[in-house]
Amino acid sequence: MLSVNKVFTILLLTFTSAVSVASQTMTQNQDTKLINWSLIEHGLHLQLIQRTPDQTRGFFLGRGFSNAVTNDIATQCVFQTIVRNTDKYSGKAITLPLPTWVVHYQNKSQPIKLKEKWDSQWSTSEVAMASRLAFRWATFPTQQTFEPSGDRNWGMISMGLPPGASFDLTVKWQHGDQNHSATIKAMQCPADGQNAK
Amino acid sequence: MVKMLNNYLKINFCLLLIIFSPFVQSAETLLTKITPVRNAPEFSLQDLDGNIVKLSDFRGKPLIVNFWATWCPPCRKEMPSMERAWQIIKDQGIAMVAINVGEDEDTVFTFTADYPLSFPLLLDTTGSVTQRWPVVGLPTTFIVNPEGKIVYRAIGEREWDMPELLNVIRQLKK
Repeated sequence: MLSVNKVFTILLLTFTSAVSVASQTMTQNQDTKLINWSLIEHGLHLQLIQRTPDQTRGFFLGRGFSNAVTNDIATQCVFQTIVRNTDKYSGKAITLPLPTWVVHYQNKSQPIKLKEKWDSQWSTSEVAMASRLAFRWATFPTQQTFEPSGDRNWGMISMGLPPGASFDLTVKWQHGDQNHSATIKAMQCPADGQNAK
Repeated sequence: MVKMLNNYLKINFCLLLIIFSPFVQSAETLLTKITPVRNAPEFSLQDLDGNIVKLSDFRGKPLIVNFWATWCPPCRKEMPSMERAWQIIKDQGIAMVAINVGEDEDTVFTFTADYPLSFPLLLDTTGSVTQRWPVVGLPTTFIVNPEGKIVYRAIGEREWDMPELLNVIRQLKK
């Protein structure tokens, strides 16, 4: 018969291995047909969910953007991004520096298209201040630290790729003082004309 | 026999701890404590009735300051719990305001038809107040103590009527 100490050790090992488990999943919403890539690893829970160009057009037209600017954003592979700090045990923050993320497409590597780059390409007359504000807050922060107190955030990220493109994405983050990275393979930008329903 | 029973109880206790520990959230794990505390940036904003509301109006009582937008899904998700919290705390010497980021009065007014809210909704139409507060994403909520200092922060939606969470804010009262 197992002693109490042995049972406790087994339970502890089971517990700690469950905490550090890493997973990458890809699921498709049966109603919208949109794909959600999920990464759970070292305190990070990242979800990247396809947004159809029409979804993105609807959002930015509703925020006062012109047809031309809206179409430009919508056709550059926009993902809805949701991030949570799932570390309830070590009390470490996670930090996501988007400038370090790498998009691998057709044997080339490029950074994701950050909100600052979008903003700098618009003239004052082209995009009104209220629209810029909506863009700023609807897109994912360029760098953000998530405390282990239930911090979570969401926002759009543009991969800067054409509709229908297939690519790999290398995600980098810090968990406490440790750097981590993971590559999500075979992600897909939704094709244009594809409806969310 | 007694020893075996003791061991059995110990194992069961360990199992329960392990099974339920990920789901137990204390208030400390719901809000991030700001250290060192910093002065909350002053604001002077119009509410939906055209009144000017200032941060200094709330000096002497804990204040919940929420930054949000009507198009932000997690903001919409947490609004009902903010209203429920407001109904609990409004007569307890605790104040609450929600600062809308970058939208006009009509948009916010229309929103309140679907989400009846009775605490003050303030309009930061230019985003200048939001820029001065340490807001990274929407929603972000700050707890300001009676001395006007930011003491807690929550990024992302919360269930604001959770008793553990409200108790942390009550403890800030003088």
